[in-house]
Amino acid sequence: MSLPHLILFGIDWISFGINFANFYALYFAISLTLNLEAGFTGIPNFGKVLFIAGGAAFAGSVSGRVAAYFCALNAPTICTKGGDFITFNADIISQVNGYMTTNPIFTIEIVVLALATAASVGAFLGFLVSYPAIRLREDYLGMLLLASAQFFQIFLRAYGPIVGGTQGIFAPDPFLYFSGLGIGYRDLAAAVAVSGFAVLVYLYAERIARSPLGRMLKAVRDNEDASRALGKNDVAIRRKVLIVASAIAGLAGAFVTFYSGSVGADTWDRFAWTFWPWLIIIIGGMGNNLGVALGALFFTLVTRGLQQAQPFFQPYLPFDPNWLTYLVFATLLILVLMTRPEGILREKPAPTLPQKTLRSIFASAGLEPGVAFPSDKDGGRAKRALSRLRTVLRRKTTSSGPPSN
Amino acid sequence: MVPPFVYSSIVYASLFAFMALGLTLTYITTKVPNFAYGSFVTVGLYTAYTLIKVYKINPYEASPLAFVLGSAVAVAMYLGILRPLARRGSSLVSLMIATFGVDVGFIGILGIYTDYLQNKFGLPDAKQFFQFQADFSIFGLRGMVLVAPLALAITTLVLYLLLTRTKFGVAMRASVENPPLAKILGINVERVYVTSWFLAGGFAGFSGCLYTLWLPGGTSTGSNLIVEIFASSILGGLTSIFGAVLGGLAIGGSEVGLGTDLTTGFGLPGAMVIAGLSVLAGLYVWRRKGTTKKLLSLFLLGFGVYIILDAALGYPLDFLAPSLVNGFGAEAIEYQKGIPLLIMVVTLLVLPKGLVSLGWGRLIRRRKA
Repeated sequence: MSLPHLILFGIDWISFGINFANFYALYFAISLTLNLEAGFTGIPNFGKVLFIAGGAAFAGSVSGRVAAYFCALNAPTICTKGGDFITFNADIISQVNGYMTTNPIFTIEIVVLALATAASVGAFLGFLVSYPAIRLREDYLGMLLLASAQFFQIFLRAYGPIVGGTQGIFAPDPFLYFSGLGIGYRDLAAAVAVSGFAVLVYLYAERIARSPLGRMLKAVRDNEDASRALGKNDVAIRRKVLIVASAIAGLAGAFVTFYSGSVGADTWDRFAWTFWPWLIIIIGGMGNNLGVALGALFFTLVTRGLQQAQPFFQPYLPFDPNWLTYLVFATLLILVLMTRPEGILREKPAPTLPQKTLRSIFASAGLEPGVAFPSDKDGGRAKRALSRLRTVLRRKTTSSGPPSN
Repeated sequence: MVPPFVYSSIVYASLFAFMALGLTLTYITTKVPNFAYGSFVTVGLYTAYTLIKVYKINPYEASPLAFVLGSAVAVAMYLGILRPLARRGSSLVSLMIATFGVDVGFIGILGIYTDYLQNKFGLPDAKQFFQFQADFSIFGLRGMVLVAPLALAITTLVLYLLLTRTKFGVAMRASVENPPLAKILGINVERVYVTSWFLAGGFAGFSGCLYTLWLPGGTSTGSNLIVEIFASSILGGLTSIFGAVLGGLAIGGSEVGLGTDLTTGFGLPGAMVIAGLSVLAGLYVWRRKGTTKKLLSLFLLGFGVYIILDAALGYPLDFLAPSLVNGFGAEAIEYQKGIPLLIMVVTLLVLPKGLVSLGWGRLIRRRKA
């Protein structure tokens, strides 16, 4: 088989695309929350996996139990299996899933419950670690978060009732309804849901970045003392950012559980869930949400590409090619840090006025928005417009300024 | 008859002291917490594994090679990655993420290496292996019980003599305390830093090599030990070499000791001591300002008083107190890894500069006001 033929027909492009979208959206959302913490506020969160794992584990465990309880209550003919949730997990969840495919309202309720649980667990964990963490210097903070995340994984393994230890449990699968439509529809539905979530997170992060809040976060990051002198409570700000970002990370964890239909203790290593997001924001550009989108795209392309290419060079290697992914990314990270530490897109100063206000100012000056640097090519028309704009702006600032005595 | 966990805690404590010593040596020179440090330990682990499985060489005899390999890896990391990054003015967070990256690189390298071992030598347990039955025994004691603390004692003594009695040691201390001033005095600061990293990697490799005689290991052993290593180093103050030894001993000893106590119970006297300490800590915290402090104090006081009352009345409430006296059962041993984390959090909150910041003299005699 020739290589072009292989590329065209040897790869299932549709399932590859769906898989790609799922992976991309998930890592994009997680990296955005990390960017909010590390890029905007300067919290070196080396324990990101803690919050994702917390959200995922509790979303699966709590929603599964509640779904089993209400399923047995509402539809005793379908959910016949009783007993311990962990021991008889596979039977209980398959019955719950059977009930959920017939009852969309119930499915939505369970999804909402799982998301709420994940967000609250994430937020709670964020609050818990913020207490000792926020007061510490960057290095101590990094070590504490890393160690806490490491312990949480040990805890999940050891404490059976949450996710059944290393064996893991099945969780209610809200997308199972779509698998009735044909092969691949379930994953497509999941991809749509995760992408929607990622877009929402992006809009939220962009809104923060463009708001006075975003500028305050950067002020706290860049100069603690100066921001404190301006009356900003840096400890409270950091704690709030950690809580909000952790809640969103918990939500992302819930989506991981939904997508895989199960949750265990062994998936939550710090390489896949802490290091990859860090790599994404370093490559893309810290403090720049668009950069994170690019970084995540790059990361997804390389990982998925390597995975697709794996069968082709597997026979020639005396080891599992998966290990190369680790080496490639470690090298890449070091190279980026050495040659372009600001990432693909560097951090830009955020516009200080909302778009709407800017547009109205431009309109009142008779200028098209976006014409910021006029040249002489149009016979000075743009220049005259700019000077008109300046007059308008001056008037605006004096009229909206503080009242003089 | 000495219970076996005492030996276990002696060995554990000594090994962690070695690891904490190494981490502290890397921290005081580059001022970056080295997340890849656990992988240096794994390098030692696999040196021992390869030598015993392929060449039938005892881990004790393998330990010099493990020391050298660990050192080589550490020096390569310092010269190849951290020094160039630091020279171009990278931020602390960038340096931290770089060490994290090195750790990830090690995952790949170790994965490839163990695949190679499996394929080439047909070793099915290359990814996860049991402790080697290669230890000698002396007076009915396993060799490690003597060797590990002895090696630690000798190393600490040599390090002490090196730092206080030799010119190089004084230069080393000067370079750590004030690098620009040390440079002005003509000290080759770079050489000192490389030496520190050399020793740090060596200690990690050495302790990893001996670790295989006592506990099972695998590709992720070093990465998983990072909780204990950080906790030991922070307990020691993160900047003090001898503090690190102290911290490692305390963490290793308490992890095994308290972990065993959790499963078998502290007994009535032990439980009373814990309750009493909790009441004392509660009273101490009560004097601090702030709502969270008061809540914490109430919690500690309530816990202590509850344990004492419940035990005195013959356990009318079957909750916590009887388990504390009689043990939580065998599965509690799984949570012993939580003890180092707990100690780390408490250290960071109460004693951020570590054990070495305690005025030991003041504990003995009161200083006049």
